[in-house]
This record gives sequence, structure tokens and C-alpha cells, in this order.
Amino acid sequence: MMWETAILVGLMFGGACFLILQASFVRILFGFILLSNAANLFLLAMSGRPDGKSAPVLQGNSAPAVDPLPQALILTAIVIGFGVIAYMVILLYRTFLDQGTANACELFDPRRERPKEDAS
Amino acid sequence: MKDLVFALPILLPLLTAIVALLAGRRRWRRWLIGLSATAQLGVALVLAHGAYGQPPQVLGLGGWAAPYGIVLVIDLLAAIMLALGALTALAAILFGYAELPPEDENPLRLPLIQFLVTGINLAFCTADLFNLFVAFEVMLIASYALLTLEADDWDIKQAFPYLALNLVGSTLFLVAAGLTYGMFGSLNFAQIAERADALAGTPQLTLLALLFLTVFGMKAGVFPLFYWLPNSYPILPSPVAALYAGMLTKVGVYVLLRIFGQVLPPDLSLPHLLMAWLAAATMIFGVLGAVSRNFIRGILSFHILSQIGYMVLAIGLFTPYALAAAIFYIIHHIVVKSTLFLVGGTVVVLNRTDDLEKTGRLWLATPVLGVIFLLQALSLAGIPPLSGFWGKYMIIVEGLRQQEWVLVFCALLAGVLTLFSMLKIWNGAFWAAAAKEGVHTEERRWRPMAAVAGGMTVISLGIGFGAEFFLGVAHEAARQLLDRPAYIEFLLRGGG
Amino acid sequence: MKTGDSYIFRAVGSFLFFVINVFAVYLLLRGHNLPGGGFIGGLGSALSLIMLSLAFGVREAQKVLRVDPTRLAAIGLLLAVVTGMLPLVVGEPFLRHFHWKLEELPLLGTLEVGTPLIFDIGIFLVVVGVTAKMIFVLFRSISGLTALNPSEWRRYAADLEEPVEREHSRSSSELETEDEP
Repeated sequence: MMWETAILVGLMFGGACFLILQASFVRILFGFILLSNAANLFLLAMSGRPDGKSAPVLQGNSAPAVDPLPQALILTAIVIGFGVIAYMVILLYRTFLDQGTANACELFDPRRERPKEDAS
Repeated sequence: MKDLVFALPILLPLLTAIVALLAGRRRWRRWLIGLSATAQLGVALVLAHGAYGQPPQVLGLGGWAAPYGIVLVIDLLAAIMLALGALTALAAILFGYAELPPEDENPLRLPLIQFLVTGINLAFCTADLFNLFVAFEVMLIASYALLTLEADDWDIKQAFPYLALNLVGSTLFLVAAGLTYGMFGSLNFAQIAERADALAGTPQLTLLALLFLTVFGMKAGVFPLFYWLPNSYPILPSPVAALYAGMLTKVGVYVLLRIFGQVLPPDLSLPHLLMAWLAAATMIFGVLGAVSRNFIRGILSFHILSQIGYMVLAIGLFTPYALAAAIFYIIHHIVVKSTLFLVGGTVVVLNRTDDLEKTGRLWLATPVLGVIFLLQALSLAGIPPLSGFWGKYMIIVEGLRQQEWVLVFCALLAGVLTLFSMLKIWNGAFWAAAAKEGVHTEERRWRPMAAVAGGMTVISLGIGFGAEFFLGVAHEAARQLLDRPAYIEFLLRGGG
Repeated sequence: MKTGDSYIFRAVGSFLFFVINVFAVYLLLRGHNLPGGGFIGGLGSALSLIMLSLAFGVREAQKVLRVDPTRLAAIGLLLAVVTGMLPLVVGEPFLRHFHWKLEELPLLGTLEVGTPLIFDIGIFLVVVGVTAKMIFVLFRSISGLTALNPSEWRRYAADLEEPVEREHSRSSSELETEDEP
């Protein structure tokens, strides 16, 4: 189980890096979503081997349960990531409206000049 | 009731933010937030007074003791940072009141500033790695929102690199937290410190330290991961920019101090060496960027980086003396840098722009503002007896003592170039004969704005002339920080 | 996207709305020591609002929620923080919670209640408010409305500001105008 998780986390980080380095806004956005999920999966792996253990819900039985702390951390991280990604969607949409482009290379092209009527 | 006082640095700004958010655009909001910011400063000073020479104050949330529950720990360093944060926030808020009438200011600005302060204060108080992550995120989300809240159509794109790099930094932080939990089975600072001693000198620990260096170096704006900072700060409204310039990167420096000074064992020569050299590069590249810019807020934003370099260099040299120098430098820098941004904001009101080719004649129109700027600029460059001199002096003395000649040379060179770029502002804005738009001294609001900057200048002069007292505080804070056995003993077995 | 043109979806949606919300409250109430809680319940409740926005259009969904989502979130946060602070007043640590076991109540039997429930209700309100805010802004953007409705605009924008959408649409008639509520 650990090897599979490690390989999956590596693939996700690699894919996220690839997507983030693209120019299109949509790919960058998916890259960041993948990146935060990769980090969450990495955290999940820290709760140890899940073999034969139950979910950490105590109902009177004393079966061995997996370490609940990383899961609490992931829940927090997911909530935070959810908020930040929502912000990013709105920011990219607003940038697209304002600047008329959905391409990061074009957006930061130094030859683009500030429109004159905004200079006031 | 004792617990109430220690929870106040976090609860007070949080409650203020909520009430201000609910109040919408009512007039009394400004009074409420001004009073709350003053009260926060008072609470922080009381805490700092109580923390001097005493063991740290521990507040266990929900009544759970240290290794199991989330604890907040306020020692002298945290209390100093709380006081500086409250001071900067108060100055920024008052400056904002002077700059704009209430109806022209976005109604979400003040609640967001209070949320930002909540996050910053939580980052100072926490003694738990994951809680630190949460604090960083509270701070960052508020800062993202403030960054774009009042940005115009053209500038808003600068928020994107800021968001992207900070998001990558947060993800790496999460990975570092996971790795720490996997290695030590705990996220509590004291417990990590105790268990890390057993691993001292192993490659795993070095790797973890390098990961922390990357994460917090990114948040602090250390070379080569500083790209998010210098283009995004100039798009902020000036009072908010002063708060950001004073506090945000310093949270990163504070956490570097906390993690490397207290949590990780002291014998990590590779990360310390790397930190010192990266700091030297930050100093040089930051100040060169500042020299290349041609508008006041751009120059000042690059200067933040250069100054961060000094603090991180002091942490990298890593002796009790050097850490005391870093703490003193933080005290000096927060006050001076935010004041310079306030002066920049006043110049924008007087000249309608801060482009140095279009500004001018301010010395004739307002000598007072000129004196304020000159005092702060010379302090930033490190001219004795102003506050910047002492910090730089201590860092260079420590560098000479460790025979790091190249690092010392970089620090001195960065000082000279700082002076050069400050003279550039002085020439362009205050001394140059022609101002394209003229000087708008008929705008009454520049007087209260300059008064806020003047108040901060008085404090900065106080730090310079009362350096002996502040050096004593910095030495005591560094002593508490480096006394790891007492911290572990106190947190895990004694207090709480 | 065109919303609100499927009769079947509207008929089922108006019925499902109540079912989803009852389930959300159930999740909220069982949350203390079973899977569930304020966060997940709030998300469930927000899902019902997404469904309403899809079925009837975003303005109907906003009318159903009635209150400004930002204020809802702020009230929830206030509730949670105050619940955490109350123990400080009686000399207990921050965020300490209390439980009581009420026995032999009429109709309900034995009931265990505690302050975590109030805290969870606060979280529920925060989650509903924040998620509803996101949904409404995104839905309004894609249906050609301004991101904030007029009352929110009065509350959360400075006098100097102009809606982004108004500046950018080629003609202002492309934007649907909205009556004051």
C-alpha cells in the first residue's frame, strides 16, 4: 500500500507541476487543484498502513483504528484549499474580464501597455 | 480571568472583524475599530511586560494540556511581535482614516485588516505546527482579498503571481507538516524539539530543515522565491501596503527564528550555511531591484527584500548574539519600513503620483515630511545613531567574528546601495525643482497623514536612542528562544 | 447557461429541497460523536441551494435564502466564537465545552445536549453562508447579472466603485437590470 501511495503522490505532484507551468488559465487552475490534492494524499499516507484497521469512529468496540489525526488535518486542509481555489476561480475570471485574455504569457507580456484612459 | 488576557490578542481582532462586517457601512465602525486596535496594542504591551524574564505563558485550548491539545504559548519574542503587529495595524488604520473619507473606502477593508491581524497574531502565539499552517492560511486568505479588493483593472493581474507562489508555499508547508508528523508522531513544538534531539545530525532532519527553509523562506521573501512580493505590494492602497510591508514577510522571519532557534536542534550546519548565503543574495538582489525602480512604492517594496536579507543572515549565523541581532533588526525594521510606506502614501496625495519623474518640490512645500522621510531613510540605510545602525552593526560584528568576509562585504554593499536608492527618492520627490502636477498642499488631509507617519518616526527614534533597552529585550528574547531544555520541560511537564 | 427551463427538474427540485435540508439538519445533530457535524451539514444545505439555482435560476435561490450570505457567515462565526469564549468568563479555558444529560423528557426520552452543538450550529451557518456566497457570485456571473445584487452593492462597495461587468459589457443593455428587493 505504501509504494502505491508514494508513486501516486509523485505522479500527482508531477502532473500538477506540469499543469501549473502551462500558459492557459484553466490548466493552471487544474494544476493547483491537483497540487492541493496531492498534498492531502501525502498527509493521509502519514496515518500509517490501513491494513485491517477500522475507520476512527468509536462505537464501543475496541478494534484497532487508523490514526485519526492526519485525517483531521486533511479535513482542515481541504476546507482551506476549497476556499483558496474558489478565490482563484473568481480572480482568474475577473482577470479574464478585465484584460481580455486567458493566457498567462500574454497577460504578463511586457509589450502590453496600460490603456491610456486608466492612467488618471 | 488570566486565560482571557492571553486569548485576547486573537479574540479581540476576530470579534472586531465580525462586528465590523455585520455593521456594514455605519459611521461608528471607524471608532470601534480604532478603539479595538488601541486596545490590542495595550494588551500586547501588558503581555510583553509580563513575559520579560518569566517562563512563557501557556494557554491550552479546551483545557487540554500540551502534547495532546492545541496550545498557545506567549513568550517574550511572541509578545514583542504581537506589540509590533498591533502598532503597525493601528498606524495603518489611522492613516487610512486620514487618507479617505468613510464613504470612499471599501467597507470590507477594515474587517479584512482585522482578519489579517487575527491570522498574524495566531501565527505568533501558536506552538503547534498545524495550527501554524491554519494561522498562515487565515492571514494569507485575508491578504489575497485585501490585495484585490481595491485594485484597478490593470493592476489586478499582479495578484496572480502572489496567489500562485503563496499557494505553492502553503502546499509545501502541508507536506512539511505531514513529514514532521511521520517522523516525530507529533506536531507540538516542544514534543518535536524533544524527539528531534535524538535524530540530531541525521540526513532526514537536514532534509526536513531544508524543506522548512524553503517554505518559510518563500513566505519571508528570500532569494530566489521572492517574485511574488515586489510587483504586488505597489498595487495596494497605501495604508494596507504599510501593514503588509511591516508585518507579512516578518511573520516568515519570525517562524524561521522559532523553528530553527527553538524547534530544530542547533547543530544543522548545512541549512544554516545555506540560509546565510541565500540571505546575502537576497540583500544584493533586493537592493539592486530597488535601485532599478523608478517609483517610490516600487523602490520600497524591493527594499523589504533587501532588509529581510539582513534578518535571515543573522539567523543563519546562528549564535545567541546573532539571534538577538535578528530580533532587534525586526523591531527596527517593522517600524521604519511601514513609516516609509506611509510617507510614500502622503507623497501620492501631495503629488498625485509617486513616479519619481513627475514628483518634486516637496521639501519647499512640507519640510516636516522631508525630515520624517530623511530620518527614516537614513535609519534604513544604517546611519548612527538611528535605529537601523545598531542592528546592522551587531550583524556585521557577528559576521566578522565568524570570519565570513564575503557575507560581511555583501551586507556593507547592500547598506551603501540602500543609501543610494533612498537618495534617489529624496532627489526625485523632495529636492527636484519641477513637479509636473504641482504640489497639492491645499488638500487638508495630508496633515493628519503626515502626523501618523511622524508618530511612528518618534517611536523609531526612540528605538535608536533607547537602543540599550531594546537590545536588552532582544537578548532576553533570544535567550528564552534558545533555552530549549527549559521550554520542553516547561511545556510538556511543568505548565499548561 | 440557461437555467429554469425544465418543468420536471423544477417540480422535483422544489420537493427535494426540503428532503436535502432535513438530511442536512440530521447530519448536524448527530455530528458530535458520529460522522456528521456542522461542516458537512452546511455543505448539504448549500447543495440544496445549488440545486435551486440550477432549477429556478439564481435570483429565486437568493430569494429563498432571504438573508445576505456574508452576514449569515458572520453571524455563524460570531456564534462559534462566543460559544468558545463563554467558558473564559467563568474561569475555564477557551473552547472548553460542557455536556448535560437530560433524562425522561416528554416525547424525547433521554437526551444528551452540550455546548458543542451551539458551536456546530455556528459552523453550519458559516459554511452555508460562505458556500452560498461563492455559488451566487459564480451563478450570477454566468447568467449575465452583476456579481453583487443592489442591496449587497450598497453594503459592500465604496461610492467610487463601478461594477466590473458594467464597464466591460459592450452595451449596458446586455446586463439584466434588477429591481430593488
